[in-house]
Amino acid sequence: MSDETDAGGSDRWHDVRAMMDATPGVAFEHQIADWLRQSPRRMLFAMSYYKFAAKMVGAGRCVLDIGCGEGLGTWLMAVECGEAKGIDLDTDAVASAQRNWANDPRISFECGDAFELADRRWDAVIDFDGIEHIHPEQADSYLAKIAGLLAPEGVVVIGTPNITSRPHASKRADAGNVNLYSGERLETALKQLFDHVFVFSANDEVVHTGSWLMAHYFLALACGKKA
Amino acid sequence: MSERPDEKATRDTTEERLGDRRVKLSKHWSYNLRSDPKRLPFVLARYKFAARLGSKGRSVLELGCSEGVGALILAEQATHYTGLDLDPDAIARAKENWTEERFTFHLDDFLGSDHGTFDTVVSLDVIEHIDADADDRFFDAIVRHLEPKGMAIVGTPNVTSARYASPLSQAGHVNMFSAERLATRMRENFVNVFSFGMNDEVMHTGYSPMCHYIFAVGCTKRGE
Repeated sequence: MSDETDAGGSDRWHDVRAMMDATPGVAFEHQIADWLRQSPRRMLFAMSYYKFAAKMVGAGRCVLDIGCGEGLGTWLMAVECGEAKGIDLDTDAVASAQRNWANDPRISFECGDAFELADRRWDAVIDFDGIEHIHPEQADSYLAKIAGLLAPEGVVVIGTPNITSRPHASKRADAGNVNLYSGERLETALKQLFDHVFVFSANDEVVHTGSWLMAHYFLALACGKKA
Repeated sequence: MSERPDEKATRDTTEERLGDRRVKLSKHWSYNLRSDPKRLPFVLARYKFAARLGSKGRSVLELGCSEGVGALILAEQATHYTGLDLDPDAIARAKENWTEERFTFHLDDFLGSDHGTFDTVVSLDVIEHIDADADDRFFDAIVRHLEPKGMAIVGTPNVTSARYASPLSQAGHVNMFSAERLATRMRENFVNVFSFGMNDEVMHTGYSPMCHYIFAVGCTKRGE
């Protein structure tokens, strides 16, 4: 490579850098930092499920993200759908989310209980990795409360690991999973609340319609809230 | 190499089970298999996707079923399958090949007909053949045949893929849709609409202009 081309390349990179330097930095703490250090693939999988949810919800919609953690996925929803609010019980996670993302008018965060938000009805409610931590006898009412947050024409996306993936889960993950679902059970539970339920399978970052038995994870999409 | 006894037993059982239930394809699918065999998995993948979303425990109507290549997949978990097509040769083949009670086939262009209502209407590779000024009648036919809380699954090649289509396909494709246009038309008729893309046999939710094939899934008829 001649010095001349090299210099040109360096100039161009400098221009690109100048554009990027204008954006505020992002700093991960807590769960996402842990993912990145211990199991970086987890972040890829989680973000792919958020992207799927964003595509199902569509543009020009207000989304509530229950259990938003540090809000990286909530940010994706805000960018793709137009408006998103993340809510989580973890004070530190919500503080991190606010530091990274909350300076944008499309997004907001709140620390607290999603079911105490009575101020509005959402076009979409998404809940990833929530329902498997709810005790089975409370699970149906948890789903009913999610449905209660929705506008009549709203959609819900629930993400949760397949019960058949349990033998492969880490001890740490498995300890909190007190309510794992099969595809059939998830479909049946949601059909009590919605006219239309689609349970998609996911393996790693791939969302598909293959056999529920071999799915690692489920992404359940529901609409047509029953009266 | 001589056949092992267990292999022979398997073959005998298969032949016994099959009897004379051979499947004879029409000119259309014979042509497809001879000219471009990889088209078969692409088409079957579209049907599998539609079946996974909308067939389990539901009555299914297919508008434009051809000779019933997708009928088996759509009928597998459905309560009943009905297929309509305007091609007499295709419908004759379908009736010969798929004789069980769970299948019904009618020769009909379906734009003006009424065959009752169903839980799910599926129509793949049909709308691109209907003139744009008549495509209202296509959507009317879907809605007319659906239960109020029914579901419609419409699939068609993306307009962005038209330049790569075979001359034979191009000649028949008079009304190509983008994902946005398809979703917009479906939203006129359904409360919730979900868009998907497919490249070859792979379903995904990627960037819509680069999808080779597009789907719109409509749930709950408007005004019900």
